[in-house]
Amino acid sequence: MAAPNTTRLSDPRPSIADALDGLFDPRTIAVVGASRTRGKLGQAVLALLKSNGYGGRIIPVNPSGGEIEGLPAVRSLQDIDGPIDVVVLATPVDVALDALETCTQLDVKMVVGVTSGFSEAGADGHDNETRLRQIMQNARFRLVGPNCEGVVRPATNLHLTFSPMFNGLRPGPVAMISQSGALAGLMALRLGERGVGINTIVSSGNETDLTAADLLDYLGSDPQTRVVLCYVEELRAGRRFAEVALRLTEAGKHVVVVKGGRSRAGSRAVQSHTGAMAGDDRVISAVFRETGIIRARESVAAVDAVTALAAGRRPAGNRVGIISVTGGLGVEMTDLAEGAGFEVPVLDEATQTALSRYVPFYGSVKNPVDLTGVVLANPTYVGRCLAAVAADPGVDIAVAIITFVPDQQFIEALAEAYDGTDKPVLIVWTGALRSNASGEALRDRAVPVYDSPARAASGLAALMPMQGEVA
Amino acid sequence: MTPRERLEHWQRAGREVVHEADAKDLLGQIGVPVPERDPAGGRCVAKLCHDAFPHKSDHGLVRLGLSPEAARQAAAEMAERVPGGTPLIEAMEEEAVAEWIIGCKRDATFGPIVLAGPGGILVELIDAAEIRLAPADLRTAGAMLNSGPGARLLKGLRGGKPADREALADLISRVSVFFAENADLISEIEINPVMVRADNKGLIAADALIVLAPAATAAGQERPE
Repeated sequence: MAAPNTTRLSDPRPSIADALDGLFDPRTIAVVGASRTRGKLGQAVLALLKSNGYGGRIIPVNPSGGEIEGLPAVRSLQDIDGPIDVVVLATPVDVALDALETCTQLDVKMVVGVTSGFSEAGADGHDNETRLRQIMQNARFRLVGPNCEGVVRPATNLHLTFSPMFNGLRPGPVAMISQSGALAGLMALRLGERGVGINTIVSSGNETDLTAADLLDYLGSDPQTRVVLCYVEELRAGRRFAEVALRLTEAGKHVVVVKGGRSRAGSRAVQSHTGAMAGDDRVISAVFRETGIIRARESVAAVDAVTALAAGRRPAGNRVGIISVTGGLGVEMTDLAEGAGFEVPVLDEATQTALSRYVPFYGSVKNPVDLTGVVLANPTYVGRCLAAVAADPGVDIAVAIITFVPDQQFIEALAEAYDGTDKPVLIVWTGALRSNASGEALRDRAVPVYDSPARAASGLAALMPMQGEVA
Repeated sequence: MTPRERLEHWQRAGREVVHEADAKDLLGQIGVPVPERDPAGGRCVAKLCHDAFPHKSDHGLVRLGLSPEAARQAAAEMAERVPGGTPLIEAMEEEAVAEWIIGCKRDATFGPIVLAGPGGILVELIDAAEIRLAPADLRTAGAMLNSGPGARLLKGLRGGKPADREALADLISRVSVFFAENADLISEIEINPVMVRADNKGLIAADALIVLAPAATAAGQERPE
């Protein structure tokens, strides 16, 4: 039933959750700035929305009308009949502000502002920022951005972005909120390469209206979400962010945050020791710890942390069993694990006996287990050894280190060992690119796979955070 | 006057730093143990409190271990040197097994926070304070005393007596609640050092400082009176 465009204007402003429901499952999307010219943001948004298979109604808005990307365009937002769930602003800033003002007169739920030129532009963007805030005072809709890369929801083929970095992601348990679109792209791509599924990505940009706290609340409360990954430079509504994070982590979810811009310490005059001791960055670390937020030093460490957490297995303790086809990598992994506060205890007698069937006299069955290159002779041996270590009652987390892999069966055997245990398993595979095997069986299961012991150590640290930060 | 009314009064009077004598009066009102004033006997501390000199010892405005008589003389001498100051003579705390710092401030990101850690001269040496959101309940305050390098100090290092952690946790929680309720008026409270006695013997706030929020900020967050 298509209601006339303006009838609901007198209703109270819808809740943030209502607006976000509309954003993530929209029936109608209007793209302001839709264009036939390659390289323009509006052209890219429209093309990606179509090519990723969005099934709802897409309305290009362009003053010259006609047909764009095979879709009939309207000349203005006012020409659209019925409610509009999402308006995307992908034009230069003046046009975007006019369109935003028009939205206040229409039945619009959400606006996604890709357009730049506001507070992030400093003095040059000041007038635009002022006008933006004035318009938002009268708005019934909610705004993501501006100055953002958009919103991506792989499960519903919703790609509201000009960036191709988010193509081809698989749906899964991770939600991402990023004040930087480029960092969201980097992290999404890396997670995708590891087979970690993503439920939603919001590039939140300047957060003039909706903040990371609002998005954390909504996305974290989604039963599909197991881990929320955030990149923030300035935490607006920081108190609420902390309170929402505490509620989520107490409910068993994980919140991983990269806080950028830490060197910009406040330069206020300090009259007390408290002022000097509770510097901005120390307070952030302390509050993150208090509320169960895992702080990652930078974006790749955050990806490593999320890779381990997304698998959904929680360790019962901090004892790590390490098997390696080479001594050196096993030693390095042990050093890193112990450095992060984990124990690498001598394995149970029975486990050692089981391992002895595969390990030659010049290897080691204690922990770390040095399988030696001999185990490569049979493609199932490493998998069996992993199963034996994971079954050890004195081991809470198993780590298997492999280099080049001679055949596919080798990987299948590892996947089987992963299926055979409930304990967290991390795999270090240094030679994926030099192997006659695909990692698809591991990616399908979202087994955490890392390319070095250091990266795996970041995953370990996230499974049981004992120190300040995942590096 | 209620504690809040006093804060408002001070703020209207244009004070930013509230000196030790007034800060302790107010903290005493909310149940923070402070030293006995003008004692008849025992060893005393003489100080001169002035909003412009929060770091008294840097200006020779603190003298320790005096008789009551000598303390009165010392305070009078200081008052002559620094006009407009408030003399303060207190019983000197002799039983402490640990010195602690408790501080509250408004963080730009998270709002009211509370900090607690090894205090006195140790704050110059190690930065081992624990930080939490304020208000901190008793459980959180207790956890702050069980975390970090300070925890070992409170348990008694190398045969030292364990400190009264219950009293310290109560103080942290009490100050953090008061701060959070009045954070529109106060930007910082600091008690340093808190002289913590052995278990079950309590503690005493030996020095305190309150920094008020600028009046303009408070006007923007009017509260009904």
